[in-house]
Amino acid sequence: MSSTKEKLIAHVSKEQEAGPTNKVTVVGVGAVGMAAAISILLKDLTDELALVDVMEDKLKGEAMDLQHGSLFLKTHKIVADKDYSVTANSKVVVVTAGARQQEGESRLNLVQRNVNIFKFIIPNIIKYSPNCILLVVSNPVDILTYVAWKLSGLPRNRVIGSGTNLDSARFRYLMGEKLGIHPSSCHGWVVGEHGDSSVPVWSGVNVAGVSLQSLNPEMGTEKDSEDWKSVHKMVVDSAYEVIRLKGYTSWAIGMSVADLCESILKNLRKCHPVSTLVKGMHGVNEEVFLSVPCILGNNGLTDVIHMTIKPEEQKQLMKSAETLWGVQKELTL
Amino acid sequence: EEALAPRSGSAELFNKSLSDEGLSVLVVFFKSVKRQHVRSQLRLMRTLRSTARSNCAASRVTTPRARLFSLSPLQQLPLVSQGLFEIMASVMQKLITPLASGPAEPPRNKVTVVGVGQVGMACAVSVLLRELADELALVDVVEDRLKGEMLDLQHGSLFLKTPKIVADKDYSVTANSRIVVVTAGVRQQEGESRLNLVQRNVNIFKHIIPQIVKYSPDCVLIVVSNPVDVLTYVTWKLSGLPKHRVIGSGTNLDSARFRYIMAEKLGIHSSSFNGYILGEHGDSSVPVWSGANVAGVSLQKLNPDIGTEKDSENWKEAHKMVVDSAYEVIKLKGYTNWAIGLSVADLTETLVRNLNRVHPVSTMVKGMYGIGEEVYLSLPCVLNSSGVGSVVNMTLTDEEIGQLKKSADTLWGIQKDLKDL
Repeated sequence: MSSTKEKLIAHVSKEQEAGPTNKVTVVGVGAVGMAAAISILLKDLTDELALVDVMEDKLKGEAMDLQHGSLFLKTHKIVADKDYSVTANSKVVVVTAGARQQEGESRLNLVQRNVNIFKFIIPNIIKYSPNCILLVVSNPVDILTYVAWKLSGLPRNRVIGSGTNLDSARFRYLMGEKLGIHPSSCHGWVVGEHGDSSVPVWSGVNVAGVSLQSLNPEMGTEKDSEDWKSVHKMVVDSAYEVIRLKGYTSWAIGMSVADLCESILKNLRKCHPVSTLVKGMHGVNEEVFLSVPCILGNNGLTDVIHMTIKPEEQKQLMKSAETLWGVQKELTL
Repeated sequence: EEALAPRSGSAELFNKSLSDEGLSVLVVFFKSVKRQHVRSQLRLMRTLRSTARSNCAASRVTTPRARLFSLSPLQQLPLVSQGLFEIMASVMQKLITPLASGPAEPPRNKVTVVGVGQVGMACAVSVLLRELADELALVDVVEDRLKGEMLDLQHGSLFLKTPKIVADKDYSVTANSRIVVVTAGVRQQEGESRLNLVQRNVNIFKHIIPQIVKYSPDCVLIVVSNPVDVLTYVTWKLSGLPKHRVIGSGTNLDSARFRYIMAEKLGIHSSSFNGYILGEHGDSSVPVWSGANVAGVSLQKLNPDIGTEKDSENWKEAHKMVVDSAYEVIKLKGYTNWAIGLSVADLTETLVRNLNRVHPVSTMVKGMYGIGEEVYLSLPCVLNSSGVGSVVNMTLTDEEIGQLKKSADTLWGIQKDLKDL
């Protein structure tokens, strides 16, 4: 007896169902992972979303909750499993897994714990998606991007750290608030380490090409009566502030991850401040990852923009590189 | 110094200074950083600001924002310098020449979300990412968490098209909303039924609803808190709004889950499977099998036993899975949020964009299908910018009508015992 389905639908295609063309995997279904997942879903970036985590119940619950919203989405397949086989053939893998900062804790504290977690995660990802692009979000992001690069064996253009994409977004938001303009029209780049020693490139801060530093030469210094330097300080403090108030940050980082994924999946070749290998640039001699403006496309991070930065800014970058290398050389990979 | 009550002298003093001494900057330091003085401090600042507006051509008076109140005067200094920056000849003045001055226009598509728990934030983020609102307001009683959530969303502004995101414990921040989504209240614990939550949530609503209506008398209210049908009735009573402007999220989510599950079984996308679940949002919801179709082909015509016990394919299981979904997800991750958030954004889109789309939402059904009580149940409603425009008269079987009537009786049984509405 034929089933209702057979009576209703006649299957006519002789081809196998095509695999996903734009699959995205999110590793870790904590607040950041789920914020990234929902942002990616609501931006219609992918035709298949995979979620992986070690906590099976939570993982299954989150996947079900997203699937129940399928009617309102354009991503027809949402899968989740503890086993990495579910991530096979991903174009982009977003790694959010790992311990997160407690109130008052610095990102560098999390290193060794997260390195151990990565030793398990990264090889599994590569096993099932050998040609993927890795987007590392877990903190301390610059060090963990280095770790992911070493553990994966991928070429450097396929391992990207979310880096200061979020810091720059926060900077542009605060700048927009001060000037009464939408953040997308305020341009400002925060580069270097994602964390307490990030570097705001004041010479590049502009609206419609008008350099703000040319209007206020003391911008960013102690002498500045308008104290623009405090804008950068607020960017650095933001994460601690939000963690103090609500326990963690999720929405802003989730949206910034979706923004990066969009550039990669749609091959936009847009410029983003993300974490990449900077050895040989700006006087850095160590094998470290820091954020600089990079071009992102479907081959990952293909080009780096050569910033003209001041000697003090270059010194800050070199100092961050030294600090990061100091931590990295102690790691057992 | 005294931040207790704005003395009438303060505004006069300011007035005098402006005209006599050509004062151009007034810096207000509040000695008290106590929470109970916040209201009076805000009131004073507002008085000063409106005084300044009516007296100066330059209407730029910076009102220190909410975060000022948690700082000591010394900590307030950098913020003051920011404020000063805006008044002195600044980068801004050199960079930008204002052409149109005057008060900022009120928002046209403001959405407020009451309650910043998991459901509220999922609704907020879905509304933001769907670009439905030009202003988003968040309200809650837990101040730290509220502020943290607001900041986190604001930090994502670069990636959004909603230029203003505000949050406060005080409902004045919700003024002029078009849509207000109410997610506040207690939620089901593992294994707990929705009806258990009633009285606790009624008490919370007695505080919330009048405040919402005070600041947004023309809004459309979407009630999400459970048990949604009873609480939509409660909201309607407490708000005094006409019944078409109070909507319960109802079985919009159940229908979405039903369409997802059925579509998976058939190997198609959920939007191509049409089917409604009506009635109570909960254990006794009613799947309308006669309406279930793909491309207009009725599944019941292909399988007359569909939805019954006799059905060898056991399609009834799909409805059972819908009823169990919430309990299942709560058991696994502790709560549900994404699906309900997406479904609320879907309703919001229809309301804000005046689409006249049909959604199964909770509306006042007295007089329909022989129901004599004033209860809210989900029926297919045509929604537009004024709320429920009309209700689609679905042809239901006697059994389905019986189930609706039974739900109506159960709900009325609970509603008639509620005090002081």
